[in-house]
Amino acid sequence: MKISYNWLKKFIDFEFDPQELASVLTSMGTETYVISRECCWSNVVTVKVLDVQKHPFANRLFLCKVTDGLNNYSIVCGADNVSSEQIVPLAKIGAVLPGGVKIKKSKIRGKDSEGMICSESELGLKKKSKGILVLDKNTKIGVALEDILRSNSILEIEVMINRGDCLSHLGIAREIGAKIRKIPSLPKIKTFNVPSLNCVEVAPDLCLRYIGMLISGVRIGPSPAWIINALEENGIKSVNNVVDITNYVMIELGQPLHVFDIKKLGTEMIFVRRARNDETIIALNDREYKLDSETIVVANDEKPVAIAGIMGGKYFSVDEKTVDVFLESAIFNADLIRKTSKKLSLTSDSSYRFERGLGWGISDLASWRAANLITEIAGGIIKSKQDLQTIKYEMPNICLRFERISKILGCDVKKDETIEILKFLGVNLQLKNEMALCTIPSWRNDIKIEVDLIEEIARIKGYDVISTSLIHEENDTITISSSNNSFLPAIVEDFRFKLNGLGFSEVLNYSFLEIDKLKKFGLKYSHKITNPISKENEILRPSLLPALYKNLLLNVSYGCERVVFFEYGKVFTEYGEQKTFAIIMCGKIWGEWWKWLEQGIIPKYDFYFGAGVVKNILPSNEFKITENLNPEGYYHPGKTASVVFEEKSIGQFGILNPIITTDDIKEDVFYFEINLDLFDSVCFKKKSFYKTYSKLPMVKRDISIVAKRDLQFLEIEKIIKIFMRDDNILKKYSLFSVYSYESKFGNNKISYSLRLFYKNDEKTLTDKEVNENMRTLLHKLYVELGVELRQ
Amino acid sequence: MDNIRRVASEAIQKIKNSDDKVLESIKFEYLGKNGILTKILKSLSHYSIEDRKKIGFEANKIKTILASEIKKKERCIKRDLLAKKIRREKLNCSSIFCFPFSKGSFHPIVQTIQDMILAFKLLGFSLADGPEIETDWYNFEALNIPENHPAKDMQDTFYLDGTKSLLRTHTSPGQIRVMEKQKPPIKVVVPGRVYRNETSDASHSSTFHQIEGLEVDKNVTFLGLKMILTKFIHNFFCCKLDIRFRPSHFQFTEPSAEVDIQCLFCKGKGCKICKNSGWIEMLGCGMVHPNVLRSVNYDSEVYTGYAFGIGVERITMLKYKIDDIRLFYENDLRFLRQF
Repeated sequence: MKISYNWLKKFIDFEFDPQELASVLTSMGTETYVISRECCWSNVVTVKVLDVQKHPFANRLFLCKVTDGLNNYSIVCGADNVSSEQIVPLAKIGAVLPGGVKIKKSKIRGKDSEGMICSESELGLKKKSKGILVLDKNTKIGVALEDILRSNSILEIEVMINRGDCLSHLGIAREIGAKIRKIPSLPKIKTFNVPSLNCVEVAPDLCLRYIGMLISGVRIGPSPAWIINALEENGIKSVNNVVDITNYVMIELGQPLHVFDIKKLGTEMIFVRRARNDETIIALNDREYKLDSETIVVANDEKPVAIAGIMGGKYFSVDEKTVDVFLESAIFNADLIRKTSKKLSLTSDSSYRFERGLGWGISDLASWRAANLITEIAGGIIKSKQDLQTIKYEMPNICLRFERISKILGCDVKKDETIEILKFLGVNLQLKNEMALCTIPSWRNDIKIEVDLIEEIARIKGYDVISTSLIHEENDTITISSSNNSFLPAIVEDFRFKLNGLGFSEVLNYSFLEIDKLKKFGLKYSHKITNPISKENEILRPSLLPALYKNLLLNVSYGCERVVFFEYGKVFTEYGEQKTFAIIMCGKIWGEWWKWLEQGIIPKYDFYFGAGVVKNILPSNEFKITENLNPEGYYHPGKTASVVFEEKSIGQFGILNPIITTDDIKEDVFYFEINLDLFDSVCFKKKSFYKTYSKLPMVKRDISIVAKRDLQFLEIEKIIKIFMRDDNILKKYSLFSVYSYESKFGNNKISYSLRLFYKNDEKTLTDKEVNENMRTLLHKLYVELGVELRQ
Repeated sequence: MDNIRRVASEAIQKIKNSDDKVLESIKFEYLGKNGILTKILKSLSHYSIEDRKKIGFEANKIKTILASEIKKKERCIKRDLLAKKIRREKLNCSSIFCFPFSKGSFHPIVQTIQDMILAFKLLGFSLADGPEIETDWYNFEALNIPENHPAKDMQDTFYLDGTKSLLRTHTSPGQIRVMEKQKPPIKVVVPGRVYRNETSDASHSSTFHQIEGLEVDKNVTFLGLKMILTKFIHNFFCCKLDIRFRPSHFQFTEPSAEVDIQCLFCKGKGCKICKNSGWIEMLGCGMVHPNVLRSVNYDSEVYTGYAFGIGVERITMLKYKIDDIRLFYENDLRFLRQF
C-alpha cells in the first residue's frame, strides 16, 4: 500500500527523511520504497508571478513576468488561473518535460516566451489537470521543483502477511514510535452517547464484531480538496464526500468501512449471514457475482446488499440523492473473506485488510472517526449506534521469561531495554522476578506466544545489532565424510564425470509433461495433477525420454550436428518416485575431422557405439549387458539391449524405433535409461582386493569361426565364458572382424574372427598346450551351437 | 705388428670420415669374411707361437676397437639423420587441426547445488534427502501452516489425482523428516526440487530447486544462524560482501528474517538488477517455531534450532547474470555449453 510521508507526521514526530524512513521501516520488516514520481524534470524551478497582462494579439493568452529571485523572465501563458503573486513551476529554456517535450526560446503570436509555466499534467503528475499548478504561497522561489515536491513523498510499503495492523498510517506510525520510543497521537475523536440501535443480526461464526451507526440528514457532494488529495496519493478515486470519508479513515486507521443508503436498503433489519447457494449480487464494479454458502453477505430481509468485507452492492450505495446512511464497521471472519475473494477473483482494499486480520479495538474508533468526519463535512446527525459482539474479547496475556531472550537470540538484551521496547509497542507489563506478564494490545493479534515477543525485541532492537562480534568464534569443524559428498547418488556422480569427459552435456527438464506427449512413445502415466495451470503441467513424467527427445529436436532444429545429453532426475511411475538417469545421443560422434575425411570416415552414433558408451560408464563388471527380453515399446525391437545387475534388469538401451523418429530426424537416436532405485547405488563399487599378476607373456592366437546369422553372438560368448572358468589358460578374447561373404558361406552364415589370449600364470606355455585348448573350445562350440572353424 | 697398428689407425681415420654408405663398406673391408683383420687372424699360423700370441692379441684388440668405433659411428649417423628429419617435421599448431573431441558440460543448476553443498559441508553440515511427492502433514501442518492459512495460498500447490498427496512446495518438509528420524544434535542441508503452481515467466518457474538448512541442538541461537549464513555467503561468493538481516515472517520460524546481500553488480550503489536498492534478496531463515519442534515431539524448552531455505535458480541467475529462469529448462546447447 501507499503511505504519505506528511500524513505520518501528523501522527508522530520523527526526524527521518523519506529515504531514511524507508530504510528504518525495511529494517523493521516492512519493506518500504520511496516512490519516485517517475518524472524527470530538469531545469524546472519555482518562480513568482510578478505581473500578468493580456496578450495584445491573442485573446486567450497572457503575458507574464516571473522571477526566480535572480532573473526575470517573460512568459506567454495560456492558463486562465494565472495571476500575480502566485508561486508556480517554470520550465526554463532547455528544460525537458515528461514525454520528451523540450522547452525552447520561442515567439508566440509575436511575443517572446522564455519558458513555460507548467500544469500538473505537463509535469506528468496527473493525467489530466486544469490550468497551471499553483504551489503554496510560502514555497521558496528559485528552487528545483523536485526539491519542493519531494517534501511530500509517497512511500510504497509491503507489509508482512501477519501484520495487517501495518496497513494504515496509524499502524506505520506505531512502528516508527516503537523504534524512536514515542507514542503516536491519534486524531481527535469525539465520542458521545447516542441511542442504541437494534437492527443488526449476526451469525456468530461469520463476524466477531459489528458496529452500525445511523447518520441522517447528510448532504452528499464532492469531498474537500484535502481528502481528495489524500485519497489520490494513495491511489483511490474520489466518489463523494461520505464514501471518500470511509476510505480516508480506512487508510488512516486501517479499518475498512462501508456505507449504505438506508432508503435503498428498504428494511428495518440488517443480517450478516451466509449467502444461499443460488444468490447473486451486482457489485459496485457493475459485475454480477454468483454466491455460495462460503460467502458472507450483508443482507436486507430479501437479498444480499454487499459481499461482506469485499465489495458493496451497486444498488445500495450512497449517491447524490442519499440523505440517511448506515455506517458499517465490522470484523468479519478472515478465512471466509479470503476464500470468497479467491473464488470470485475479487479483491479490494477492504478484503486485503480483512484477510490479514483486524485488531479488536480499532472498529469502534474508526466508526466514531468516520461519523465525526461525516457530520463535520457532509452534515447530518448521528442518530443511533449498535455495537454487536459475538465473542467476549480480552487482551491476551503472555508470560515472557527474560532468560529465554538470550537463549533464542544468542545475545543479551538488558532488562530495562526489553521493558522499554515492549512498552512502546503498546504491551502492558507486570514484572514478577525474572518474568514479565505481557498484555498484548488488541491490534497486535500476530503476537501469540513468548517467542513472538522475543522476535519483537530483536526486530525493534535491530537484527543488525545482534552482532557476530559478541561471541567467540566457533571452531569450524570440518567434517567432510568420504561418502555421500554430493546430493547425487554416487553412481550418478560417476556417470556425470565420465560422460562429461565423453563430451556429453547435462540437462534438466521439468518434472511435468503433457499427456499428449506420451502417446508417441507408448508411455503411460500414473501421476496426474489435479489442478494444473496449463496443459504442460498435466502429469508427472513417467520417463525422462519425452523431454530429452524434445531437447534433442530443439538443438537439431537450429543445425546442431551432434547432440549428446544426459539427465538425472526423478520419474514417477506406479512404484512411486524413482531416481533415474538417462542419456540420449544422435548425429556425428565427433565434429568433422580433416584426417578422417581424408580416409572417408564419418562416424555416427549407432547402436554399437552407444552400447560402448554404456559399457564404458557402467562402474563394474557386475553390471552386465544382455539381450533385452522385455524391451520398452519405443525401442527398435532388434536394436536394443538390457543392463542387468545382480540378475535384475535395471536399465535398457537401444535405438529408438524409427517409426517414432522418422518424421522428425533422419539419423538413429540412441537412448539409455537406468533406474537407480533398483540397486543400492551406495555400494555399487564393491571393493575387491588387489590381485597379483603374472609377468609371463600372453600367447595370442587368431581364429575365425562361422556361425548361423541368426545366432546371437551372446550365445557363443556364453560358451566361451563357461569354458574360461576354473583357471583355464584362455584368459581373454576379443572380436576383430565380422565378415559375411555369401558366395563362400551362403547367405545364412556369418564369420567372426576372434583373438584369443592364453597365459599360464606359473610357467611358459607350449604350443601344444595352446593348440589342445583351442581344439577343445572349438569342439564345444561345434557340439553346442554348430559353430565351425572357418576353412 | 707395426703393420697391424698402421691398419688400425688408418681404419679409425676412415671411420671418422665416413658416412652411412661408406661405413658399411669399411665394416666389410676390415671385419668382413675376407676383411683385412680377418685375414690377419687367419694368417697367424705362419708365425711363431710367441708372435702368434702377440699378433693375435693385438689383432683381436683392434678388431674390438674397430667394431665399437663402427657402432659409435653408426649411432652418430642415425642420430644425425633423425635430427635432419625432425628439422623437416613442422606441423600446424592451429587448434583447428586437432582432433575434435567435444567438451561436455554440467548443468549450471546442478553445479550451483554442488558448490553450495560443499560450502555447507565446510561449515559442518551433513546431507539429507526427501521425497518430492509429499503429504499435507509434512509440507504444511507439521510446519505450523494449518488448514485455511493464507501462507498455504501463497505457495500455490500442485495436488495429485486420486490421492491426498501433493508436490512439495519447498524443501522444508525435509526438516520434519530429518527430525523424525533422529535426535538432536542435527545439522543438515536438504537440497531438492520443489514445485509451485504458477504461470512461468522470466522469473517464475513451476519447477525449481531449493536448499534447506537446519540445525537443532541445546544452544542454537539466532546469532549462530547469522554467523553461519554470513560465513556461507562469504565462502560461496568468495568476497567480503555486506549482508543485511531483515525481519520477515514465515509460519515455521520465529523470529524470522530475510537475508539480503549487497548487490553484486553495483556493489550497493543501486542499479537495475537490485531495483536501485543496493540489496539483493538472497534467502529466508529464522529460529524454528516451537510448534514445529512440538510436531516432532522435541522439547522446545530444551532444544532450539534455526532453519533456512535458499532458492538455487535465483543464486545461479545472480552468479551468471542470467535474466530468464526458463533458460535453465530449455536445454539449448548454445546456453548449456557455456557452463
